[in-house]
Amino acid sequence: MIGALRSSCFALVASSLVMASFAGAQQKPVALRGGKVLTVSHGAIENGVVLFENGKITAVGTASSVQIPKDARIIDATGMTVYPGLIDSETALGLTEISAVDVTNDLVEPSDEIMPHMHVYDAFHAETELIPVTRLNGITNAIVAPASHDTLPGQDSFIQLAGKSPTDYILVRDIAMPLNFTGDQRRTERGEGRKFPSTRMGLAAQMRQAFLDAQDYAQRWSDYEKKKADYDKSKTDAGGTSDKDKKLPPNPPKRDLKLEALLPYLQGKKPVVLAADESSDLQAAVNLAHEFNLKFILNHISHSQSVLDYVASLKVPVIVGPIYEAPKPDERFDAVYSLPAQLYRRGVKIALASYDSHNARNLPYAAGFATGFGLPYEEALKAITLNAAEIWGLSDTLGSLDVGKNANVVVANGDPLDVKTDVKFVFIDGQEIPLTSRQTRLRDEYSGK
Amino acid sequence: MLRRLVSGKPASIIVCLLAITAIALVAPAQDAAPPTPTDLLIKNAFIMTATHGNISNGSIYIKNGKIAAVGDKVTAPAGTALLDAGGKYVTPGIIDSHSHIALDDDVNEATSPVTPHMMMIDAFDYHDKAIYRGLAGGVTTSMLLHGSANMIGGQAIVIKHKYGLNRDAMLFPGAPRSIKFASGENPKRVYGSRNQLPSTRMGNFEIQREALVQAQDYMREWDIYNAKVKNGDKDAAAPKHDLKLDALADVLRGNLLVQIHCYRSDELLTEMAMAKEFGYKLRAFHHALEAYKVADQLAAANVGIATFADWWGYKEEAWDAIPWNAVLCLRKGVRVAIKSDSDDFARRLNQEAAKTMRYGGATEQEALQMITVNAAWIIGVDDRVGSIDVGKDADLVIWDGYPLSSSAVPNRVFIDGAVYFDRSLPGYGMPQFKEGL
Repeated sequence: MIGALRSSCFALVASSLVMASFAGAQQKPVALRGGKVLTVSHGAIENGVVLFENGKITAVGTASSVQIPKDARIIDATGMTVYPGLIDSETALGLTEISAVDVTNDLVEPSDEIMPHMHVYDAFHAETELIPVTRLNGITNAIVAPASHDTLPGQDSFIQLAGKSPTDYILVRDIAMPLNFTGDQRRTERGEGRKFPSTRMGLAAQMRQAFLDAQDYAQRWSDYEKKKADYDKSKTDAGGTSDKDKKLPPNPPKRDLKLEALLPYLQGKKPVVLAADESSDLQAAVNLAHEFNLKFILNHISHSQSVLDYVASLKVPVIVGPIYEAPKPDERFDAVYSLPAQLYRRGVKIALASYDSHNARNLPYAAGFATGFGLPYEEALKAITLNAAEIWGLSDTLGSLDVGKNANVVVANGDPLDVKTDVKFVFIDGQEIPLTSRQTRLRDEYSGK
Repeated sequence: MLRRLVSGKPASIIVCLLAITAIALVAPAQDAAPPTPTDLLIKNAFIMTATHGNISNGSIYIKNGKIAAVGDKVTAPAGTALLDAGGKYVTPGIIDSHSHIALDDDVNEATSPVTPHMMMIDAFDYHDKAIYRGLAGGVTTSMLLHGSANMIGGQAIVIKHKYGLNRDAMLFPGAPRSIKFASGENPKRVYGSRNQLPSTRMGNFEIQREALVQAQDYMREWDIYNAKVKNGDKDAAAPKHDLKLDALADVLRGNLLVQIHCYRSDELLTEMAMAKEFGYKLRAFHHALEAYKVADQLAAANVGIATFADWWGYKEEAWDAIPWNAVLCLRKGVRVAIKSDSDDFARRLNQEAAKTMRYGGATEQEALQMITVNAAWIIGVDDRVGSIDVGKDADLVIWDGYPLSSSAVPNRVFIDGAVYFDRSLPGYGMPQFKEGL
């Protein structure tokens, strides 16, 4: 009772803090009028209107075709660009504050490689100073993933960068599970402190065993459920009065959170985000995924240029990059820069990610840079909007300016993918986000404003 | 003719090299000799000079590796090679005033907090492909600095990104000597973690002060000795030469440009006060993420900054970093450069500079200056490079796309009038380096 009281008090305090920056539900209709509307799903509309009410987009079209309600707040977007909120397909937002200050980091549990029962939402800090900084650049949604030190470091959450209360930031808990196989997960202790797994063989064997254990665990539970059903049935058949009642109900297996966490992935209900850089690692990891019938999305593949046809043949989406990853010494300067274009040309659905937290705000520039190396502009924009929404199974509500979708809308004074562009308005769920951050406050304080 | 085409090597050597290559495919390519610069007229270019605005449909006449003429009405002697830039943008070569590439991790001699006699030239790993990757991003000159483990790290080198040439051919001829100082978290963390001095900012500055006092004493000993010799004292005993104190004496004599790694505003002020106390000048603060808090004082002391466009939050002393830092300082009269401090950013400094147009409204030319002539000033080579002006080295970038954007890519990079990178070429895209690919 006391505990409940205390936690509700805490919730009140916490939500009132957030309320200061996010007033909650959209109060009245908003019409963004006169801008160039990049719908992402159905081209650009010059002199367009985007209308939203109650947090949802209600109309998108030319100025002459959209009826703006009388009570709407009209924002003149003439000369501006209007586009859907950007989606960053991998960040550590809410898991870190100051990188070098350990106590501010909740990035990964390094004690074991198999940690699928770590849930990002348990550590996610909605009031991080990083989120206002990030959304100032039009990023409204992101995957938050644990750091990649473990093969199975935990489960991602999908967030929006605003909410009435801290929990409202998290749109989808445990949306996917990273499976990292880049070699960096090996234990590096040497000499007497050497520990398993110190090779890729060890990493793979350890994961394989974990998946087998989880399959056994699932089997034990399904055996139990069957026995329990039989038992319940026999009880019901006997009318609950006969001697047969004296037979004891079956004992449930002991719960194992770690193995339990793997089940939705083994059952193909959720995707595994399979990270590899080198083509050899990629193929080893894909084989492992196939062995257990995992549904997967590829991640990084920065040095897999020699197997891009193979990647295309897998018919899975790829979160590619970071495209700023250095080429290997024997690679041409643009070996990684040009990967998004190379994959696109092979028909692969791609998304881009910042793989960052403090610098997640620079996500659109990575997409812009990819256009310098052959990725068509529309595809670059899709890679941080609609493609990402589709990959994460959220394209019903996010990723484009279409009627019925969440009103996550950005207004900027130029090309969304260019460094010079200044974001003028950000709406999340139809609610205007104040364009302030710790950084703007410091700027104003020291520039005499 | 052949000589000119193949980097000035006699044909017989080329034939010989080809023969060797044919026999043993793994034979490593030899470092090339500097190419003989070809006089060239670049025409039909959109020239961003970095000092005197833009010239549309302009021309640049390159003679003996230098810019001999620039403008909208430039003529060159008959027979001069012509390059039609097709209306593309041309900027000065990018200058990175804070780089740690090509050092094979020999960035810090972190065994003592004062190592002014560590000479970067002795660690210069000139085959590092990071030089090439920076070149492909339009960088033509970089200052390779020590890290920040030590309060006084050592003496820098300045290179031109002539990848494929031999070591000494890559050095910037006659560039002034710079020395790297540091402050703040890094020295105190490195030595504090070993339970050594310094483990606080108090310790940091005391170490620095102590070293400078020793240098003063050392100089006095030499002054006394020299005076004795001058007075004909044949028995005068020369003091022992001390490399470390020689280097610090050069700081006090003003023979070295002092480059200080420093973040917090209070430490910027302390470093300036110490320079005043000991009578040496500071050239620039590097990182300087809180410079916007004390920009007036920096401007008054004519100390530049080499900063990041928007990097922040990676450590406590980077927590007050704001992306408006560069322009707030610029508006107060501080000379501002945007630098890489990273193999990665070195490949796209143009984008980093362009961010200052968004954060604070730097003009196009101001943004460009932050990665060209201002950076050159910090290094002390602004009379030689950093703008498209007559008499300067012909270090130029021809761009695909508008350079101050996120989608621009260098099409061709010239250093001293010779092409070192050409995106249209296969392999690495380097006429001077063809190994592999």
